[in-house]
Amino acid sequence: MPIPVTIADDSLLSRKVVRRALPVDWDVEITEACNGKEALAAVNSGKAEVLFLDLTMPELDGFGVLKYLHEHHAKTVVIVISADIQPEAKRLVDSLGAFRFLQKPLQPEQLKQALVELGLI
Amino acid sequence: MNTLLTEEQRDALQELMNISMGQAANALARLIAAKITLSIPKISDVTPQQFMSMLTDDSVWYTRQSFLGTIKGEVVAVLSKEGSDAIACLMDYDLPLNQDSRDELLLELANILAGACLTGFAEQLSLKAKLSMPTMYTPTMQHIEQYRWASTLMMEVKFNVEASHFDSKIVICLEESSVQTLLITLQQLLE
Repeated sequence: MPIPVTIADDSLLSRKVVRRALPVDWDVEITEACNGKEALAAVNSGKAEVLFLDLTMPELDGFGVLKYLHEHHAKTVVIVISADIQPEAKRLVDSLGAFRFLQKPLQPEQLKQALVELGLI
Repeated sequence: MNTLLTEEQRDALQELMNISMGQAANALARLIAAKITLSIPKISDVTPQQFMSMLTDDSVWYTRQSFLGTIKGEVVAVLSKEGSDAIACLMDYDLPLNQDSRDELLLELANILAGACLTGFAEQLSLKAKLSMPTMYTPTMQHIEQYRWASTLMMEVKFNVEASHFDSKIVICLEESSVQTLLITLQQLLE
């Protein structure tokens, strides 16, 4: 059974970059979300066992998504992929229960390493 | 508003700028130990007249620097007068600032923000762009003749240091001849 994975980012380029960085032999079913609301909709319909989450998005930003998931004790494994790399952003993301904080521009090796560490591949 | 770019190219440029401004904000945040709020980058087409008419605000200072390489152009940093003393304080300048130390502060800030923005942007596209040192700049309409382009691409990012009420904006203008270079490189990234 493929693992349901959602990529949430308002930028088409960034979603493409994440897609390309996923290991080719990882059996996943990918859903794309353009904002936080779509990301939560994906989570609530079982399409996001793993969620790759951007922070700066319209409608509802990544912090809002994390907060919702945290409050609802969601089992989604969230990997934040962010252009905002200030220590403060990372601290906030950690406190909201994200599993990993990866910096943009995304390095495929770092993504792979995170997936290995989290036991996903 | 935007005739030079397709929607996909605009999205890609915006994201590349977003990533480089993240790096610029991080450089400044670490220097002044304060959180910096980022906004969504703005990408538009401008004529020299439109560009100059943006630079008429007397509540700010301007610096200017040019860059050369595979892409060429100009960077203007717009730095708010409000809050600049607070930033000076965070950067260990003695207050009150005299003219020389004020200029030094503004040029230092411009260089950190513009440098990180441009370097991050160029690196992601594997383009070369070397930035000259910034100088203080008082825009006047007479400067228009210096611009050798008819219409070009402008990329604008805003930084806000909330705790100090300080705002800054980095405006990158590409020379017309560099737009094509940029678009070709961008297309390779999108394929």
